[in-house]
Amino acid sequence: MRFQKTGYHGLYFPELGISLDGYHPKAKYTFVSHAHADHMPRNRSTRAYATEPTLKFMKLRGFGGSAYSMAFGETLNTDHCSITLYPAGHILGSAMIFIESDTGSLLYTGDYRTPASPATEGFEAPGHADILITEATFALPIYKWKPHDELASEIRLFAKESLTTGHTPIFLAYNLGKAQEIMHLLAPINHPVMIHGAGYKLCSVYDDFGIDLGNYSAYNREDCEGKILIAPASALSNGFASNVRKTRIAYCSGWAANESRRTQLTADKLIPISDHLDFFELITFCKKLNPKKVYITHTPNPAVVQHYLEQEKIDSAYLEMEAEQED
Amino acid sequence: MQTTFLQFCNIVQAIRETRGNNAKINLFAEYLAALKSDSDLNLAAQFMGEGAFSELSGKRASVGSRTSGLTAAEFCEIDYDLVFKPCRTATGSSSETIERLMENIPSAIEKRAPANLTLTDVSQIAEDLYNASGRDNKKALLWHAWEKMKPTEIKYFIRILGQGSLRIGFETRSVLASIAKAFGQDREEVRYAHMITGSLGKTAILARENRLDEARFKLFHPLSFMLASPIESRSVEDIAKYVAEEKFDGMRAQLHTDGKQVKIFSRDLNDITQSFPDIVNFFTERELPPAVFDGEICVYKDNTILPFQLLQKRMGIKKPGKKILNQYPVLFIAYDLLYTENRPIFDMKLTERRNLLEQITGQFNIPIASQNSLNSTDDVETLYNRALEHGNEGLMLKLKESVYEYGQRRKSWLKVKKPGGSFDTIMMYAHAGSGKRGGTYSDFTLGVSVKDDERYEEEFIPIGKAYGGYSDDELKKMNQKIKALTVERYGPTLGLIPSLVIEIEFDEIQVNKRTKAGYTLRFPRFRAIRWDLGPNDVNTLKDVEEYFNKSIEKERLPQNQNPSFSFG
Repeated sequence: MRFQKTGYHGLYFPELGISLDGYHPKAKYTFVSHAHADHMPRNRSTRAYATEPTLKFMKLRGFGGSAYSMAFGETLNTDHCSITLYPAGHILGSAMIFIESDTGSLLYTGDYRTPASPATEGFEAPGHADILITEATFALPIYKWKPHDELASEIRLFAKESLTTGHTPIFLAYNLGKAQEIMHLLAPINHPVMIHGAGYKLCSVYDDFGIDLGNYSAYNREDCEGKILIAPASALSNGFASNVRKTRIAYCSGWAANESRRTQLTADKLIPISDHLDFFELITFCKKLNPKKVYITHTPNPAVVQHYLEQEKIDSAYLEMEAEQED
Repeated sequence: MQTTFLQFCNIVQAIRETRGNNAKINLFAEYLAALKSDSDLNLAAQFMGEGAFSELSGKRASVGSRTSGLTAAEFCEIDYDLVFKPCRTATGSSSETIERLMENIPSAIEKRAPANLTLTDVSQIAEDLYNASGRDNKKALLWHAWEKMKPTEIKYFIRILGQGSLRIGFETRSVLASIAKAFGQDREEVRYAHMITGSLGKTAILARENRLDEARFKLFHPLSFMLASPIESRSVEDIAKYVAEEKFDGMRAQLHTDGKQVKIFSRDLNDITQSFPDIVNFFTERELPPAVFDGEICVYKDNTILPFQLLQKRMGIKKPGKKILNQYPVLFIAYDLLYTENRPIFDMKLTERRNLLEQITGQFNIPIASQNSLNSTDDVETLYNRALEHGNEGLMLKLKESVYEYGQRRKSWLKVKKPGGSFDTIMMYAHAGSGKRGGTYSDFTLGVSVKDDERYEEEFIPIGKAYGGYSDDELKKMNQKIKALTVERYGPTLGLIPSLVIEIEFDEIQVNKRTKAGYTLRFPRFRAIRWDLGPNDVNTLKDVEEYFNKSIEKERLPQNQNPSFSFG
């Protein structure tokens, strides 16, 4: 099964006439794993096939091409292959794309997380694929996530403690996915939440698909004090909640595992909660799927993953694609 | 009961995770106050502010980052080059990398059985490392120590072995504030006792036992220097409250004498007496009463103060021969007096100290810096220009009412320095940052053009490495740009297509035969990122050479009129 890069982050399969996560003029079908900027096609001629939440997010983020929704587990047959979407556990609507054709099978992970984020449709993978194209954002053994329940209670505790001492808690989390996951985890506290505008407009999709985001409204500078605040890390340097005197800041991201982020962001707490799998989960997943070949993308350190796959006697190669480091 | 190293590390980590200096100080003060034995108190203060060994001992564990990294890789059963190094690049910290690998990797977890080591145990392990020689012996000792530690202990154990900052935003000043707070003592007294004893541990014990007054200044023990702030950063309200001295193009030094013996100390409080036998002779011949001077060592020949670059030829040499002594004769020019008539006088005002200094230098014919009163900023201008003509660096403005603020950099002394030079350079390599800049490329090797230089094959050669002077936003923007320019990767270093032009500023150019260019820049830093310029616009090596020659050959005004100093 031949494929080549298209654009910065897409793949085009010339024999199959399809592309993944990127526009190609000759592709009749473009399958989109999820709606993050480094996976979403922008070209207006794109015929995008994706889950319904993904298509809704894409529209909200300015996608103007045509959109065709697919359900998880549903198989779409084209002239040359059949495509099935599997829930990727990364953000709402995120899918792994499974291609079956005469020349073999291929699983393209997009971004994924196993065990799945609770604010998604879960995680499920096919039993086997000949070829695996996997992201490896956290591809170093320094990355190993704590159990999700533990992180969830850290998040709740941070909010409660801050409010008790008269501080306004601010969670720094990426607009799409992480922000809503944090809100979902905080919902049981039952305290009003305000979310930064860019993330707010995406929340309705979560409502539509029955994910409880608690009692939330759009960020409003004048009366944000005393609420739980959610914003991307970049918002702080643009004056977000700068009128509130007593704040406590928690940075929620896989990158929070690195101590250096504390001073870079002047955060009070680092909560390493990621929407990607960690290094150990990645190797385990590869072993379980046992493909003939693994292509590694979205990492500055493919050699490390290759080194470990070699020990498992799994053939692998690096496929250079640009990742956008979301904060 | 003894305190465990783990408890200590947990406090360190808590301080790391606390924002606000007072809250940090309180945490450590509470911990110190609860310690029972002198030994624990001594070690806790020392580990926090000095390292595994007391600064006075001069000992070092001599465990480099490669040694601990290699040991960790073996301990965790991972490949050093292939796995450990990229992890270290990602975190920007070797000790943090090791902590996390120890936490994550099953085969490392299996090997460890935490044993509640005490502070004394850890101090003993450091001692063993000091006594061991060879990487293999050190590795074995580290291995055995780590078997008994939790990951947090391992991280901070490695950091205290480095005899430096723990990198938790808690420096000596804060440790001293904690000691004062823990035992209800005056901060200033604690600070003074520390300066005199040179030991945080001793200071803590004296503070607890209410014996701080036992710490006294002694002749032949160096006192921390009073430092000056750049004038740009401080506003001068009333210029008439200051006096001006020229800022000599030399080396700061503190001279102690009791008439027979002389000792000279450098800015970093090292004994440099041996390098300057001519100064020692000068002072022993005069048989002074006991005294301590603050001043400057300068090369002085034919009535002229010669460039600092020439003094450098004397600085590294332990026992200079006759030839060097004749070629580069030096003088000690005094500008402050810290001890006389068997008592320290740094609590006196500058004017009073100056009077005493003038008496002694007058009586014994010792070089003393000229001091000028100031009435207006025009005076500053005139004196500043004259200082530059003398070949000096600029002016020092000193507050007449100020005491000698040893070890402090405040606004009582202000330096007016000549601006450094600047070049447009090309960015050649980007290096992964460490510490708070971990995870970004923050250090840059900058080059000048040798395209039309027949001596070189290359287009550009490095002239210096700069790691400051840019804003966070600029750093971000550069990092994005660098991504696109990367052509090669050498571990934490990226080789770049020559494209980004950086205007750098520096204090001085020095000859350095070991570099490709033959020159290095002193204190290079960013002035601007020149998005508007390209690789053809950068300065050439010839420009650098020309600048250097000009600065060396510049005529220096002799000292016969309006001198910057006089003989008593």
